[in-house]
Amino acid sequence: MAHAYVPEIAVDREGNEHVVQGWQDDFYGGKLGFWLFMLTEVMMFGGMFLALAYYNTLHPQEFLEASASLNRLLGGTNTVILLVSALTMGLGLLKMRAGDVKGAKLMIWATILLAVIFLVIKGFEWTAEYDHGIFLMHGQMLPESTMAFGKKLFFGMYFTMTGLHGFHIIIGIGLMLWLLKRINANKVNPHHYILYFNIALYWDIVHLIWVFVFPYYYMIGAATGGTSGH
Amino acid sequence: MGTNTSVNYQEEKAVYYKVLAGLLLLTAITFIQPHLFMAQSTFLAQMLIAVIKAWLIVIYYMHLKGEKLIGAMVIFALLLVLVFFVIVIGVDVSHFQFKGESYITEPITTGAAHSATPAHH
Repeated sequence: MAHAYVPEIAVDREGNEHVVQGWQDDFYGGKLGFWLFMLTEVMMFGGMFLALAYYNTLHPQEFLEASASLNRLLGGTNTVILLVSALTMGLGLLKMRAGDVKGAKLMIWATILLAVIFLVIKGFEWTAEYDHGIFLMHGQMLPESTMAFGKKLFFGMYFTMTGLHGFHIIIGIGLMLWLLKRINANKVNPHHYILYFNIALYWDIVHLIWVFVFPYYYMIGAATGGTSGH
Repeated sequence: MGTNTSVNYQEEKAVYYKVLAGLLLLTAITFIQPHLFMAQSTFLAQMLIAVIKAWLIVIYYMHLKGEKLIGAMVIFALLLVLVFFVIVIGVDVSHFQFKGESYITEPITTGAAHSATPAHH
């Protein structure tokens, strides 16, 4: 549904009309508002990381052993994919600002493609873990299984956090598709690109979260051995 | 006021690629660190590398360079998380919750059942 901008008019005591500054053009306000939303993301994931750190202090050895069993090759590949996708999204924004709308759209499609590849790899990884009996409320993760309690905590947090992160990736793909629609409708253009700017910010925070998720889950146990994971 | 600001495409693109190179280098270091240095402090080393990567992303990709207000908001949000963590985990869980009801340590009942089983035989 299109939202045509209708300027609000204020009339002074002399009867003169003045156009009220519309929020559509408030670039800094739009950016600030989106940062406020992103801070809620920071607090949500921050709380999860801090809980994870606390669990880690309770079961340090089991956390290292569980971390060593994860597939670092797949995790690392996904790290590089997200890294490159942050670049394509940023370059797309630059192209849009410079007036190259077609180039910007191409970069958004490239970002979407990379996001889908990330999810496919994550899907393979989860499937392999499921086949080894490691999944939420399944196999070795069930309360009656003999798996060490610390490992259950580790994998429980792993599936919760990577799952939540994956959900953010899916939301990001949806936002980028919506952005493409808005560009095609000329609602986002080289003169009005706050939506693009904020969706690029969102994608950066999705990347930023993974920057901490990857080493915490995949790398802390790397020195204890094992490379191929499940 | 429009949202368009002047953009030096080539200059800004060069910055993006430099940051990408830096992030790729740090990712490579992430992989080799456990076998190369600070092997006894892998957690600390990994988190330090992650913080440097995060700093690059926030400053250059998220355009926070020179944004004092938003930068202060980010720090405030992180401090808020820390305060809640100290209250919930440091005070509540550590001092007031009954261990038998805790889901972050192995339930006492399970251990007691295991230790009690041989006594019956």
